[in-house]
Amino acid sequence: MISSVEAKPKIGATYVNALRSQFGPAILDEAWQAADQVTLTVELNYLPEIVETVYYRLGGWLATVIGSDERPLNGHFAIYYVLSVEGGDENGGPAHEKAYVVIRVLIPPHQPEFPAVSPRVPAAVWYEREVRDMLGIQPVGMQDKRRLVLPDDWPANLHPLRKDAMDYRYRPVPTTEEETYDFINVEGEGIVEVPLGPLHMTSDEPGHFRLYMDGEHIVDADYRLFYVHRGMEKLAESRMTYDQVTFLTDRICGICGYAHSVAYSTSVERALGIEVPERAEYIRTILLEVERLHSHVLNLGLACHFVGFDTGFMQFFRVREKSMKMAEILTGARKTYGMNLIGGIRRDILKEQRAQTLRLITELRSEMTTLVDIFLNTPNMVQRTQGVGKLETKVARDYSPVGPTLRGSGFARDTRVIHPYAAYDRVPRTVISKTGCDVLSRTLIRAEEFFGSLAMVEHCLETMPEGPILTEGFQYKPYSYALGYVEAPRGEDIHWSMLGDNQKLYRWRCRASSYNNWPPLRYMLRGNTFSDAPLIVASIDPCYSCTERVTVIDVRKKSVTTVAYKEMERYCIERRDSPLKQ
Amino acid sequence: MVWKLVKEVLRVGEATVLYPFVPAVVTAGFRGRPQHDPERCMACAACAVACPPNALTMATDMAQGIITWSIFYGRCIFCGRCEEVCPTGAIQLGQEFELAVMNKADLFEQADYRLAACSRCGVFFAPAKELDYVLILLEQAGLSGEELEERKALLGICPSCKRRSDIAKLVGLDQEAV
Repeated sequence: MISSVEAKPKIGATYVNALRSQFGPAILDEAWQAADQVTLTVELNYLPEIVETVYYRLGGWLATVIGSDERPLNGHFAIYYVLSVEGGDENGGPAHEKAYVVIRVLIPPHQPEFPAVSPRVPAAVWYEREVRDMLGIQPVGMQDKRRLVLPDDWPANLHPLRKDAMDYRYRPVPTTEEETYDFINVEGEGIVEVPLGPLHMTSDEPGHFRLYMDGEHIVDADYRLFYVHRGMEKLAESRMTYDQVTFLTDRICGICGYAHSVAYSTSVERALGIEVPERAEYIRTILLEVERLHSHVLNLGLACHFVGFDTGFMQFFRVREKSMKMAEILTGARKTYGMNLIGGIRRDILKEQRAQTLRLITELRSEMTTLVDIFLNTPNMVQRTQGVGKLETKVARDYSPVGPTLRGSGFARDTRVIHPYAAYDRVPRTVISKTGCDVLSRTLIRAEEFFGSLAMVEHCLETMPEGPILTEGFQYKPYSYALGYVEAPRGEDIHWSMLGDNQKLYRWRCRASSYNNWPPLRYMLRGNTFSDAPLIVASIDPCYSCTERVTVIDVRKKSVTTVAYKEMERYCIERRDSPLKQ
Repeated sequence: MVWKLVKEVLRVGEATVLYPFVPAVVTAGFRGRPQHDPERCMACAACAVACPPNALTMATDMAQGIITWSIFYGRCIFCGRCEEVCPTGAIQLGQEFELAVMNKADLFEQADYRLAACSRCGVFFAPAKELDYVLILLEQAGLSGEELEERKALLGICPSCKRRSDIAKLVGLDQEAV
């Protein structure tokens, strides 16, 4: 079942031609990983200009950036800028083909630096900070000198993803007791600084926020995450086999774990040209949509909670239980875990399970119709969310956010439609987007997508073909690589895998959807009131659950106050007795 | 709108279940605690190789000639890869999911198996039960008589002695001389 990549017509060749005519000799190499996936190795000095051209002129969106230590392979460090190119939305580019164009540069190890792309394409900021942390390659020209992933007490010259740096179990001695992170400093008459976080015993996914306040209004925000970085990429590259990593990818997220698992599996399958049996593609599609069901209901429930409608919260969570039951019936666990192997699926859907699932779909559809109707007509709901937490179209374009966060700002981008994977090219799909740019738009999108997902699961269960569910007996080809992508409930999850020669991945890069949604959050918070902050953060449905406490720094009085997160949440719900006035 | 909500709440009634005072029912194909059948197990380590989180491990005591299979339920992710790769059906995932214990040691389970010693050099080299299993497979494959005896003798030899004897055969030397 190994198919030849070369035989298929190439999608995206027009973009390559456009780049060749503009940059000519700066493009050193062209390698196709799939019919719609091409990697161009370019001259290091032309990197920012080429990425900018792909991003703004050819209609590219930054999907992920991979830093890789390829010294053992070709004597260089490599960086890959992955862009989903979808046709020129500015100055009318060439065609409207949807392809992944990867811009790759090689960096000599004796001079580990590269010209930063982020001054031209803001979406690259986090990625370039991460490459600097993990591989010790300096982005020249980037303003932000702070660490992103590594903690403050990590030794200065230890870059974990360098192949010769360290064992994956090594824990270096902390170099400092203090937090040395340099939060941005906003000063001015009456500006009050409100830090949230970073840590509390009960918070499973901590983050540290600072809100800069003028009275009740947020002037700016800065935040720091990665307090619980688990070193999964290093772990997978060091210890685990290809099949074992599918189970690790399940655990990336408590909500969209299956999406990660499919993204990883497809990246390896694509690198090897393995064709997954059609029935397995349908089962993957079904399970991905089941995951979206429970994720979207969870977020709708939280939206209720934050606008003070706790009865609605309880009702949504009661109904959500039916989607969890669906997962249990179909996969044998309440979470859609442990279902993938490279080449397909481990467990078939039997007749009785199909019938039970179809019954649950009917129940979910009718109950959710009632609940969503009640929710949207709750007087508080629209009033609290309309025009709040605006993600302006320009900011959205610059930062490449994904999922409902982006679709709420007028861009109809959904990986299921743009780059169909699994069986999505065979199911009825519509991209739901809104132009409000606010919390309301993002919430409405989730509500509508829920019903779309129900229809997809139903369609797949009714039309899926008989047949095998797992392709076996293929050979792993060392150092082949490709992308895998999935539209998870919060947006696109993207994985890039390069196979090794020892039954392990040489390099595996995983990017969760929230990674692209965090940077523009700053702009969503600006201009809103303190009491709306939890609501706005929840509207991107971030992969981080609790920011436990809030420290208030009043610049005028030079005073510091700490407010418990519970108190801030209470204020968001009740909107009286501001904790800032105590 | 409030009426609609009240109506819905009344229609649904009590949603809370009595668990843990009544048992929670899981679906038929639920993947719960892996159950190990030490009688069927032959300590081949296929499960330990497949186990993604290293919940299943093997340890060998070369002095005593013991190989130990062990599971740490605290690490288990209930993926069922062990069940899938086990050649003898010695591991099966059950329906049990309440695994909390007061004492961490209660989350470990282990089984010891005897290693066979090489008939030439006397060093322990493979689980005795695994060799028995291979022998049964050979018989099932239709081997008998002299051929079976020859294979049987080979089975009792450790890999390094086997290598030595192969080289000896190839170059036509007396085995003792190698």
